[in-house]
Amino acid sequence: MFLTRSEYDRGVNTFSPEGRLFQVEYALEAIKLGIGVQCEEGVVLAVEKRLTSPLLEPSSIQKVVEIDYHLICALSGLTADSRTIIDHARIETQNHRFNYDEPMGVESCVQSICDLALRFGENRSSGEERMSRPFGVALLIAGVDEKGPSLYYSDPSGTFTQFNAKAIGAGSEGAQTTLQEKYSKTLTLQECQKLALTTLKQVMEEAITTTNVEIAVITKAEGKFKIYDKEELAAVIATLTE
Amino acid sequence: MINIDFDSLEQPTLFDSLASDVKYLDKPHFDLPPNSNPGDFLRETFAHPNAPKPLEFAHGTTTLAFVYSGGIVVAVDSKSTQGPYVASRSVKKVIEITPTLLGTMAGGAADCSFWERELGRRCRLYELRNKELISVAAASKILANIVYSYKGYGLSMGTMITGWDKTGPQLYYVDNDGTRLHGQRFSCGSGSTYAYGVLDSGFKWEMNDEEAYELGRRAVYHATHRDSYSGGAINVYHVQRNGWKKISSDDCFELYKKYYNIAPINKPTN
Amino acid sequence: METLKLSALPEQSKQQPINHGRFEAYVDNGGTVMAVAGKDYCVIAGDTRMSDGGYGIQTRHYTKVFQLTNKCVLATSGMQADTIALQKRLKLMLETYQKEHGKPMSTPAIAQFLSNTLYYKRFFPYYTFNLVAGVDEKGEGWIWTYDAVGSHERVKYSSQGSGNQLVIPLLDNQVAKRNQQIIQGNGDVSCDQVVSFVKDAITSAGERDIYTGDFADIVVVDKDGVRWEKFELKLD
Repeated sequence: MFLTRSEYDRGVNTFSPEGRLFQVEYALEAIKLGIGVQCEEGVVLAVEKRLTSPLLEPSSIQKVVEIDYHLICALSGLTADSRTIIDHARIETQNHRFNYDEPMGVESCVQSICDLALRFGENRSSGEERMSRPFGVALLIAGVDEKGPSLYYSDPSGTFTQFNAKAIGAGSEGAQTTLQEKYSKTLTLQECQKLALTTLKQVMEEAITTTNVEIAVITKAEGKFKIYDKEELAAVIATLTE
Repeated sequence: MINIDFDSLEQPTLFDSLASDVKYLDKPHFDLPPNSNPGDFLRETFAHPNAPKPLEFAHGTTTLAFVYSGGIVVAVDSKSTQGPYVASRSVKKVIEITPTLLGTMAGGAADCSFWERELGRRCRLYELRNKELISVAAASKILANIVYSYKGYGLSMGTMITGWDKTGPQLYYVDNDGTRLHGQRFSCGSGSTYAYGVLDSGFKWEMNDEEAYELGRRAVYHATHRDSYSGGAINVYHVQRNGWKKISSDDCFELYKKYYNIAPINKPTN
Repeated sequence: METLKLSALPEQSKQQPINHGRFEAYVDNGGTVMAVAGKDYCVIAGDTRMSDGGYGIQTRHYTKVFQLTNKCVLATSGMQADTIALQKRLKLMLETYQKEHGKPMSTPAIAQFLSNTLYYKRFFPYYTFNLVAGVDEKGEGWIWTYDAVGSHERVKYSSQGSGNQLVIPLLDNQVAKRNQQIIQGNGDVSCDQVVSFVKDAITSAGERDIYTGDFADIVVVDKDGVRWEKFELKLD
């Protein structure tokens, strides 16, 4: 991929002669695995938590975070970068509630995240925040609004796309193919959950346990997200072996 | 090499001035009156002989809250007045800041509802960032700091912030001077003196919930009876361990019949 | 908007202190607006007289009702210049919202947004008295009534302006059926009945208020959109 690497990978403001921004592409490489599946009833997010050491405390890694009651986000990549993005999104959604007394639409929220992600190339006048590089983080944003449940993917370049099912991160090509084969619009939420987890299982190096994955669902009926605790995770994992 | 900034030498272009006009439209900010002290502006403007009828802001009036063995009871009336004119008899003077925090409204209705909405926004952001609910002490301090920063701007607000946090049921009084008090019993507004009379004489620490609701309701009722700026319906809320709950909403006229058992002289003939 | 920012305080040392004996920030151009909401519709009426703050009539054709979306109208009495400034601000933000969120602002959202907009002028208020009327997402008719700095309440009927104190007792009695000795019927009225009632009410205001008269705009908002009608009041 980077055969043509040259002087052009040093800054975010210069395209290579092939029309590529290398810093943005390198940022895309920083992403780890995550899967999102959407159906009529809601959206499921499943993320791998890679525990690099047995001494690591699993609960200290959080890969699915709340933006608002009706919006959640799975992160992959440099989690430190995501803090800025998530805080921005939280402020935007709360401001929207304050201004209009209604929850923010999912697409509007994703748009505001991408507006922030795109600021890396800008020259800003003194006093304004500066960004020196693109965010090294990709997001799967799941939410419900008046249009129903939806799933969005946003990458470090500031592009966002809506998906029915999406796998991101290392090994996602294989996972995406599996999703493509097995996905249908008529899936129930239970089936989506199972699909997300089986796909994740295929790509993961270790066996799935309650500590190395995180699952969150957001349903149209409740309009509110839920991150699974240990017992609920165990129950879902048990269904895989059936 | 030293970079010299020549920006300040450049003439502003037409676009710059247009951009600076538009820039502030979508950014919330307060407009201030030209060349005058914001706190005095309205008074001085309407002192002018040719000035139109002064702007009367909606005001709120009898509110109380007290801590007892079972939590906190908040009781309020629902009349809103603009001068002697009754603007509404159905105002919600208990402001639901978050699912666990309540605020009350006395003084300027717009001041209270706006700043307690802003407080709600900040408390929610606190919850998202810190993964735990904000304490009542911290929430009331945020509000007190906001209003203190607007000292001299003429805000009018007397509010009780209540909730149940890790440290138990908490009650704070915050007003537009920036006063912030932690306490067991507070009442605020033009009918507060009457309400205090009933509340202080009837208060016991050990009460069951029904007794506590009735004490709050009765205290506000007697205030509405003697204070013309109070009235409408009496709303009672109870702050419990896992959030607040609305208990009742009773029309003052119905309570009058209940407390005094006198048939009104203009009783409807239906 | 992490924190609300104040625009810079005027540097008072550099400026001449203002002589409030000469600066007149406000003029009340008068007029009455009222609105009644039914189950799935709203009827709004506003006269079209504009006075100069005293006894002079500046125009007989100043419409006080403004369409914001096809589900929502704003009715404003008070100072005409402030009304126009407020409308301009609202219109701009409605368009921005439409572009950002890909849908028109809902009526309850407009109601909250107007409240905030008025409050941002808390220290230099608009001399305007507003009503927002329209149907919400469920198709129900509602009115929001405001004070000058954005305190608002959702109600089923309200009025604002110079004839407010004449009209509101009539609405209390006839719409809310409050303080009636004999109450007939269940209170459900048709849109046509409300339209003719509102016409009577605004005529009555014109009868006893010098700032109300000439013509009235009668506006009906329902699921099909906004319909306008002109109605004659007394010209004297």
